Amino acid sequence: MKTIAIALMMSSVVFTACDNGNNKSDENAETNKRSASETTPSSNPNAEATPIEGIVSGYLSLKNALANDNSKDAANAGNAIVEAMNKIDKSSLTEDRMKLYADVEEDAKEHAEHIGSNAGNIKHQREHFDMLSKDMYDLVKSFGTGQTLYHAFCPMYNDNKGAYWISETKEIKNPYFGKEMPTCGEVKEEIKQ
Amino acid sequence: MSRIKKMLLAILIILIVIQFIQPARNTSGQVLQTDIVKVSNVPQSVQTVLKTACYDCHSNNTRYPWYANVQPMGWLLARHVKEGKTELNFSEFGAYSTRRQANKLRAIENTIKDGTMPLSSYLLLHKDARLTETDKKEIINWALQAKDNLEQNKP
Repeated sequence: MKTIAIALMMSSVVFTACDNGNNKSDENAETNKRSASETTPSSNPNAEATPIEGIVSGYLSLKNALANDNSKDAANAGNAIVEAMNKIDKSSLTEDRMKLYADVEEDAKEHAEHIGSNAGNIKHQREHFDMLSKDMYDLVKSFGTGQTLYHAFCPMYNDNKGAYWISETKEIKNPYFGKEMPTCGEVKEEIKQ
Repeated sequence: MSRIKKMLLAILIILIVIQFIQPARNTSGQVLQTDIVKVSNVPQSVQTVLKTACYDCHSNNTRYPWYANVQPMGWLLARHVKEGKTELNFSEFGAYSTRRQANKLRAIENTIKDGTMPLSSYLLLHKDARLTETDKKEIINWALQAKDNLEQNKP
């Protein structure tokens, strides 16, 4: 009887312990979210407004955070992208853009969410960044951003399968390898607006 | 009665009471038209592995172990299944956009390769979900192939 009671007690302790751990990470995610919204860089007032401006600026801060090996800033930027996506008014888009956005939305949001919830796991964040970059390229091509962007390619990432990213500068600052290989890659396309 | 005895009794009562709070079961009992086996060419051997090792958390049909009836284990399981399905649901794979399908296949390849899936905590209790090297190779090859097919068929 006593052993059973102790065993049961143990299991409930283990259970609550697990639960606490999760709550804590939820709280962290919350604080990340808050600070992300505060630190979102304000956009260039001269640039032409585009519905995806917030998403692009979130993506660019994410890219810079990854290039600096800063997983926490990357998570904040990921959350900022999710927030910007939630603010998009889909009904105001033209038919073509609406179609593309609908195709990209679920996927891109999932990547941004994962990046946001994986502070401390930069390897995982970079995997999602790779896939998010494809979505971003399609969005940027269709929507425009009001600024000239560069489509850059790193041939070594993902077991030498290579991966693209989008940058606001011509200069290569590799977000996939960070400081380990900062200049690996080349600009493949200039996306003019 | 000593304090310890009283405490144990209280814990016992709580444990008995929570047994009556059973979470809803994840068992639709049917294979949807959107199931991955219907929308993608999955080799029989891979199908078997997916069903034994992955479907419990990543589909609409979980095969529940006996301890799912014991709380709080059942709650823990329910949460795992819910999380697993949000990440990837093989039963609804066909409803994903092409780009999401391709990304999921890539994620399958990577998680199998680096051993993050199946979760080691899950393998502790589910020995049949342990993947052999052959299983892994077959899944990875299939995922790569299926992803190539998707990308070729893209409009």
